[in-house]
Amino acid sequence: MATLDGFREKEFLDQITILNEISGSKDPETLPGLVELLKTPVGDTSIDYMVVNALNAVLSSNENKVIEGLTDDHPGYRILCIRVAGEHAFARAAGPLINIAETEADPDRLMEILTSLARIADTSATPTFRKYLDHEDPFIKSSCIEALGKLKDQDSIQYFKGMLAESEAPDRFEVCDITTWKAVEALASFAQDETIGFLVEKLHHKNPTVRRIITDALITIGAPTVPMLFTAFESGDTDNRILAANVLGFVGDRSGADGLVAAFDKGMAEDPNVRYAVFEALGRIGTMKGIICLVDGLSETEELTLMAVIGGLEKHVNPGMISSLTDLIVKADDQSDRLAKAVIATKATGIFDALYENAGAGDALIDALAESRDPEIHEEFRAVLTDIGGGRAENDIARLPTLSTGTRKALAADDSRSMCAMHRAILTDLGFETFMATNGEEAYDYVEQGEEFDIVITDMNMPVMDGMELVGKLRNTPGFEDVPIIMVTTESESAQQEMAEKAGVTAFVTKPFKPDTLKAKIEELLG
Amino acid sequence: MNVELAKPFIKAAVDVISTMAFVKPTVGKPYVKKNNVAAGDVTGLVGVTGDKNGSVSLSFSRGCAVAIVKNMLGDEIDDIMTDVKDAVGELTNMISGQARAGLAEKGLVFQGSTPTVVMGDGHTISHMAKAPIMAIPFTTPDGDFTIEFCFE
Repeated sequence: MATLDGFREKEFLDQITILNEISGSKDPETLPGLVELLKTPVGDTSIDYMVVNALNAVLSSNENKVIEGLTDDHPGYRILCIRVAGEHAFARAAGPLINIAETEADPDRLMEILTSLARIADTSATPTFRKYLDHEDPFIKSSCIEALGKLKDQDSIQYFKGMLAESEAPDRFEVCDITTWKAVEALASFAQDETIGFLVEKLHHKNPTVRRIITDALITIGAPTVPMLFTAFESGDTDNRILAANVLGFVGDRSGADGLVAAFDKGMAEDPNVRYAVFEALGRIGTMKGIICLVDGLSETEELTLMAVIGGLEKHVNPGMISSLTDLIVKADDQSDRLAKAVIATKATGIFDALYENAGAGDALIDALAESRDPEIHEEFRAVLTDIGGGRAENDIARLPTLSTGTRKALAADDSRSMCAMHRAILTDLGFETFMATNGEEAYDYVEQGEEFDIVITDMNMPVMDGMELVGKLRNTPGFEDVPIIMVTTESESAQQEMAEKAGVTAFVTKPFKPDTLKAKIEELLG
Repeated sequence: MNVELAKPFIKAAVDVISTMAFVKPTVGKPYVKKNNVAAGDVTGLVGVTGDKNGSVSLSFSRGCAVAIVKNMLGDEIDDIMTDVKDAVGELTNMISGQARAGLAEKGLVFQGSTPTVVMGDGHTISHMAKAPIMAIPFTTPDGDFTIEFCFE
């Protein structure tokens, strides 16, 4: 049995061995000796550190001693006991810790006490956490929010809601405080109708980061959010409907698709942007009803909406849908042209492959492909045709024009697949060599690789890096100070646009827009 | 992510920078970044694994990095670029080590990777975890630096 007698006089290696043994045996007899070594350290950093570890080990099976130590005169030992109480979740330590927390003035020690209490997770500590919710130190405040969320403290819900509401104040909304983040997470952890409903209401928070955090939280909660998202969809304005439809799509619950179809039938998706969002969501969820609704959507005439429909259907290619689509495309009317164009522009290779079996539909698609001036699209469909093989496919490949890449370069960033396809079509039509990215970071990667662009088109809300930050970074990049940047957005509030203008956006285009509107704007900016 | 993880890093950053570079940084108000990009002129990045996995970065503005190097090396600067790189790597390593020791005392054991240093005006660094990134800004008389955490 290791003993601490004459420890200070021993060799370094012997000291290490002894402390190691104690850490393993956790012998309570060694406690007084270890405490003495902690209070009057040997002076060698590694030994002193090992003393702490050994003490931690011995105390871990000695709840009474830990509770005693919580009020010890020696500050180092006191902190150690506070930590051990939390680490091993000693329930009986909760009471004494609560008492100490009442009067603790030192923020570092208070943080330690609160952290331990949070780990013990005893409901008796809720008043303590509530008391420090208003502490000036954001970390202490955040710890209390986390703890109250973990303890599911119903009485704090109102407070958290208030925090989230206040975070939208004119002088505060530009920054997402960590306390706001924690309040969202805490509210989400309750996962009850009231809190979910509130988060859904705040989906349109003024700060894009908060909005993202709320969206992620709702997606994590999943299916229980569906009813509240519908309430928001049915009672909300256009922006709310779009956001609700997006979240429903990401949640991916079947009931979400059914509800969206019902809302669609009730005429609640008349707005082209809402329609677009609903089709995208239905494509993501992919239930039978949703797919039928998407097939109905094949009669849409807006280019963008049609792209969302085709993009959605691409994920669920089935014989019934292909046969309807074939009938529509071989009709050779205006709608056939639009559909063929949409298949090409969204790079719906699965649908293309299936439609191509029908010679008439195949011809229509090849016509649309030949019209496209986008080299990447050509390359992709050439590969599909090569895979299909046979005389007809070879002839069709031969029919395709050889493209010269544009001399002007454009960069477009948007997280929506359909919007990307639309941008690509517009830009290649104008003769640009086009670089596409699904978020700001990917877009900026091109710039870091040394690409130069004549124009940049970006969405505002994107994951990973949003449009605002992308614009900010571009403006600080040599060579990009004056490049025209167009931001495409559905945001109606002036606050958002002001932030974007400050960041350096040259012009805005509000969704929905006709391809010609964006084309005209590009031509106008480039002269 | 629990905020308790951040405190030891803040303490370590203040301790290490005041000891090594004789600059006392002032802690600003922490905030959350949506994207996973750390921006600065010189950044030291360490991966952290253990009870939780994540990454921690320290991004220094040019002025701040140069001032720290000058304070650490005095007039013995040969090549400012190399010295800044070395110094930031060294500081990141020390801060990561000290913070991990602090966390170990709380029963949270982490291993840290060797730091990577990235330089270049307005460069970007990707944190690996998908979670939101907590950023803590610091100010010194010679410029700012930011610590960012991203834990799964």
